[in-house]
Amino acid sequence: MNIMKKTILVALIAATPMMAQVKEKIEVPYISFPIKMGKGFDTVQANCLMCHSFGYILNQGRQSKKFWEGKVDKMIVHFKAPITDKDRKIIVDYLFKHYGNGKEQ
Amino acid sequence: MMERRDFFKKAAAVAGATALGTSTVDAGTTHQPISNRKVGDVAFPEKRPLITFSDRPPLLETPREVFTCALTPNDQFFVRWHMPDIPTYIDVDKYSFTIKGLVDNELKITLKDLKEDYEQVEVAAVLQCGGNSRSAFSPTPGGIQWGSGAMGCAMWKGVRLRDILDRAGLKKDAEWLAIQGQEKAAYYETPNFIRELHLDELDDHVIVAYQMNGEDLPYLNGFPVRLVIPGVYSDSWIKMIESITVTDKYQKLFFMDHAYVIPDNECECETPEKKFPKTKPIWKMNVKSIIGYPANGDKLTFKSQAVVRGVAFDGGAGIKEVQISLDGGKTWDKAILDSGKLGRYAYRTFRYSFKPNKLGKLEIMAKAINKLGEAQPLAKDIKWNHGGYKYNGIDVVTVEVV
Repeated sequence: MNIMKKTILVALIAATPMMAQVKEKIEVPYISFPIKMGKGFDTVQANCLMCHSFGYILNQGRQSKKFWEGKVDKMIVHFKAPITDKDRKIIVDYLFKHYGNGKEQ
Repeated sequence: MMERRDFFKKAAAVAGATALGTSTVDAGTTHQPISNRKVGDVAFPEKRPLITFSDRPPLLETPREVFTCALTPNDQFFVRWHMPDIPTYIDVDKYSFTIKGLVDNELKITLKDLKEDYEQVEVAAVLQCGGNSRSAFSPTPGGIQWGSGAMGCAMWKGVRLRDILDRAGLKKDAEWLAIQGQEKAAYYETPNFIRELHLDELDDHVIVAYQMNGEDLPYLNGFPVRLVIPGVYSDSWIKMIESITVTDKYQKLFFMDHAYVIPDNECECETPEKKFPKTKPIWKMNVKSIIGYPANGDKLTFKSQAVVRGVAFDGGAGIKEVQISLDGGKTWDKAILDSGKLGRYAYRTFRYSFKPNKLGKLEIMAKAINKLGEAQPLAKDIKWNHGGYKYNGIDVVTVEVV
């Protein structure tokens, strides 16, 4: 109880002026990530970019086919991304071709 | 991109070294996280340029050199969102959040109410992503491959959540709080980012904060109001609070029950091949320290007085000491800690002076020990987990003495 009181410093302030640091809409900059072009890219762009930048893909580094399948399935199962079976295969193939480590597992 | 390649070379070497006849995939090894990534060219709103992983949603990491100060400047504080749609404008005169569910009086609390109708409190506390330092794990666990900068420490000011709930009046069967932020997914079906908090976990340190280091919260850190739960990983610190719902039952949630979880066994570990079936949400932070200066590759002058600086913290037990080793961990010497006046949830800064008396490469290691006697393990002794959470290996920086 004592330690708790020490860490919480009670400040009694009558009134705080209502001034916002930022009064207008903020603009989040657009970053152009160096994603690789190739077969299936359009499908990747159409499906993946809805929710996240290409930064997410690049940041995973080179991975196995199983890893990329798992990632795409996570988007479908947990995040409810409406990715069709056909697109799923195209996306996995694209990711494995350009960001794969050559291993299936 | 050079660093990236170096990392993979190193990771492959580590995995190879431990394999010895078994498959390298089985191993699940741990090494130093990626260090020395460069900050981006572009500054995000209210931020200086930071290490940039993504713009949508924004993911920004604080560079190592910031971890020499007890309080992390707001414009260098790391940023982590989960959903693509974050509000980019909030009218402070109209903004409010609601307290609803099993309460006697539903409340709609404006910023003005928060600042004027409740006792104002402050707490200095570390905010750290559970996946901070994830790049230490091989094979790569899914998720952002953070270096060591998905953390910061700030002086948070706001109102005790307990005081707000007292005003709303909890009904007898109230047991859980579901706290929801304003970030939105692209699809309605995507689970919202909600955090469940059991009322037993709610002590007087848990606050609803509107200020950080004496300023409004930056937009990207959850303006205008966020939850602060000292000692606990940041996925629970809901940003841009929209509502707090009091319930009698726990709702199964994606982010708590699937995303931010670790194996529910003693070592909190598993292998990539054989994941432990039972999991638990990450919660209290473990003991950790980071060397803010020097950085990898820095040059120190032979026989001049050099100083090592950094920060140490844990889940609230408090830091007892930080030790430095200059001989690969054979001997350890105590660093000097700051007064600790910011309290047990904040960074303790440390400093250590020495004279480099040998030319060439020098490894500097820092190990924090908390008041419960828990010490940071060596990176290689940390066991793998599939989410890459809770890495707290002894930090190692390699410099050159010239």
